Amino acid sequence: MKKNKSILLSAPYILWMLLFTLIPLGVMVFYAFTDPDTGAFTLGNLRDLGLFLPTLGTSVWYSLLSAIICLLLGYPVAYFIAHRGAVAQKILYMLIMLPMCMSFLLRTLAWVGLLETNGIINVVLGKLGLGTVEAIGTSGAVILGMVYNYLPYMILPLYAIIVKIDNRLIEAAEDLGCNGLQVFGRVILPLSVPGILSGITMVFVPAVSTFYISQKLGGAETMLIGDIIEKQFKTSNNPNLGAALSLLLMLMVLVCTGIMNRFGGEDEEGGVVV
Amino acid sequence: MKKTNRILTILIFAFLYLPMMVLIVASFNTGKNLTVFESFTIENYKDLFQDKDLLGLLGNSLLISILSTAIATGFGTFAAVGIHNLKPRMRKTVMSLTNIPMTNPDIVTGISLSLLFVFIGTTMLHQKESLNFWTLLIAHITFNLPYVILNVMPKLKQMDPALQDAAMDLGCTPVESFFKVTLHEIMPGIISGAVMAFTMSLDDFVISYFVTGSGFLTLPIEIYSYTKKPMQPRVYAMFTLLFLLIFVLMVGMNLLQIRSDRKKATKREITKFGRIFRRVCAGFCAVAIFFGVGWLIFSTRQDKVTLNVMNWGQNIADGSDETMDIIAAFEEKYPHIDVNYTTYESNESLYAKLAGGGVTVDLIIPSDYMIARLIDEDMLNPLNFDNIPNYKYVQEQFKNTAYDPNNAYSVPYTWGTVGIIYNTKFVDEADVTGWELLWNEKYAGKILMFDNSRDAFGIAQFLEGISINTTDKKELQQAANKLAEQNPLVRQYVMDQIYGAMEDENAWIAPYYAGDCMMMMDANENLQFYLPKEQGFNLFIDAMCIPKCSENQKEAELLINFLCEPEISGANMDYICYASPIEGARDHMDEYLAESEVIYPEDSILEKGTSYLFLPPEVNRLMDNLFMEVRISGGDSGEAEEDPSSLPVILTFAGLGIAAAFLFLPKKKTKHK
Repeated sequence: MKKNKSILLSAPYILWMLLFTLIPLGVMVFYAFTDPDTGAFTLGNLRDLGLFLPTLGTSVWYSLLSAIICLLLGYPVAYFIAHRGAVAQKILYMLIMLPMCMSFLLRTLAWVGLLETNGIINVVLGKLGLGTVEAIGTSGAVILGMVYNYLPYMILPLYAIIVKIDNRLIEAAEDLGCNGLQVFGRVILPLSVPGILSGITMVFVPAVSTFYISQKLGGAETMLIGDIIEKQFKTSNNPNLGAALSLLLMLMVLVCTGIMNRFGGEDEEGGVVV
Repeated sequence: MKKTNRILTILIFAFLYLPMMVLIVASFNTGKNLTVFESFTIENYKDLFQDKDLLGLLGNSLLISILSTAIATGFGTFAAVGIHNLKPRMRKTVMSLTNIPMTNPDIVTGISLSLLFVFIGTTMLHQKESLNFWTLLIAHITFNLPYVILNVMPKLKQMDPALQDAAMDLGCTPVESFFKVTLHEIMPGIISGAVMAFTMSLDDFVISYFVTGSGFLTLPIEIYSYTKKPMQPRVYAMFTLLFLLIFVLMVGMNLLQIRSDRKKATKREITKFGRIFRRVCAGFCAVAIFFGVGWLIFSTRQDKVTLNVMNWGQNIADGSDETMDIIAAFEEKYPHIDVNYTTYESNESLYAKLAGGGVTVDLIIPSDYMIARLIDEDMLNPLNFDNIPNYKYVQEQFKNTAYDPNNAYSVPYTWGTVGIIYNTKFVDEADVTGWELLWNEKYAGKILMFDNSRDAFGIAQFLEGISINTTDKKELQQAANKLAEQNPLVRQYVMDQIYGAMEDENAWIAPYYAGDCMMMMDANENLQFYLPKEQGFNLFIDAMCIPKCSENQKEAELLINFLCEPEISGANMDYICYASPIEGARDHMDEYLAESEVIYPEDSILEKGTSYLFLPPEVNRLMDNLFMEVRISGGDSGEAEEDPSSLPVILTFAGLGIAAAFLFLPKKKTKHK
């Protein structure tokens, strides 16, 4: 009886989420299928998307690459943190969290100051007599920006998983004759797969849709899908094409995260990390 | 292995913290540049505490994140209890609804919400300002809710249901048992959800960027527009203070947690300390909400009229470098008016803001061709010249113009030319022969280009000898091809960002507006301005107009009138370095500027200039699309296909659809097992 009543508590929430997540997506689909000038139904916006497919490909490629780099860099760090004492763990965890709370716009801007032709890194390199690096405006700089911004999103879920791995399992593997590498490959790595998958998702999704990083660190050649969407809304004033592009981006992300979930098996409701 | 791990971890921490250290060091720098440390100062901190605008924005950000966190936490906690008691299948559906904002890219969430708000507000309710404080708040609550739910749900799951039954057996009503038992058990989840929601909300840029109009801005949005102009070091000072604050808060929270963990190990009851902590937290939230709501009511009930002014970046004297602070002088003269000043980057982005329908703006200063477009699309209000007696000072040649033939909608603000700014240290004078300098392969990677279609096309058209007001498709395509040819040489397509790039000598050549070039030349003496007189150049007028969405026309006209006073106009030009269309203003300008050839070219040169005229919307759209193609496909876009094939798009969508179906359908089957 009590249960039935408390179910009612979820009703306003469901209503709210329908109103402000599902219906907006519906409006977006509506815009994607209407003509910017006449407001009539059209497939023209979808046809125009053909031009942007290579850009979408570039965005996916960059963000996958940065997700993999994040994984390679983040895994040892997460592993290291997970094997500290309780207090050290808390401190290190906090130090990983801290950058996430600071303005990502300003932190990315600092990279511009570091990487510019006459930037800090080049000044230091010049003083050491090592010549200069023309980094800004390249795809490398964009990927660096993505790795820098989203690395904590990789480390935190990895840490959350690794710290839960039962030490007795590792001991058992060792007792059964595994060497260090085998323990890692056969026990630790398979057990941390859920963390790896959620980390990759958490890096990939914001990276694939970013526009600020490519605007600041990229050059003339590194336009990403996020830039184009932003332009449709903020300068070209073609929200219909922008909506069509967003739809494409959303479907693609949905499929990518779907693939992740397939690999990762059933992750129940409480799978929140950060 | 362990050692390499340790070294790698240290390196990663250095990597994460290096940029922040750069910003913190910059906050103590006398110079504006991130890369050169001139000398130590704390002046930036003093500036910060005197900058009411910046502090106001911080206040706005805090207000939004505190309010949205408080609402989302309360709302979400009750909802979580409800969801927890739903039947499993229903619960699963609701949880996938909850996951939508979590898994969708932010940009999609932001865009879909802004489309919804504009659709309801403008299309259905005919509101003038459909994007405002409330829409921002709704958006923040919406993306905060999942954080609360996802943190509270696991705690509810962990809770022993017998606890609640026990409470009811002991005579509690269901409501009492919730407050006395359940709430206590799920508190850690609520707190971590609220903390997460708060930090996400405070630093959110992408969603807010699409969901706010011009009336209510938050700090990240303003920082985004700052990062395009030379950044004021006081922003770094604010960053440093926030960094310290968050650091202290985090350390404090960790200490509390470590302490309570230790106590928990000895006894399981609520510690006295925990109780106090909880009360402090609750008290803090209550006070924050009280002040937030109070402040909101106070700020909306002000007697002052808020005048929303939208201008180009760096286009009004702001009091820096011993110039006059025009806005402050105006507010002093008319104490009942409070000016809310925001900037845009290009005529096109201004148009997008107005046409998007989310904003209220009282005064805008677009260029000639954009004014013609706005008049044509009935987006401007005619001016009441009774309120603008100073119109008499406007010089005759700026009246009866092509864009506003009846002088009904606009009052000129500045005029100027578009030329090339280049760095004499790196660019050979012999190469400075005309617009082709921007196509010179010798300077590949050092050339900047306009990031708006009209100005970019204009340059290609001057070079190709086509009219800059052509509507001919073939000629436009020809210009686009020329621009595509240039694409591999271009470092970046920029607007306001040009300042930093040119002044720090990271780029050497760029086309830009004369007045802004003059400002850059002031900052770096190696910079020089060149006007390709033989090939022709753009001559433009920026004029003040009142858009249809204005709510304070009379006050806007007072400001127009104020800006037309010769002394004010002259003082203004001293900062923005443009030519004034106001009679006598030149006499009030700094002599060095008033005599400058860059600002006031000779009449014989001016005759070679051409103005942009109004183009029909379909031509504008074609130009936008062609420019987008230039930027995407770069050099290899030879000829655009007449009718782009829809096959790749259909294939992509079909592929995505099949993949989605394949992924989600069999998953349910495995569930049944």
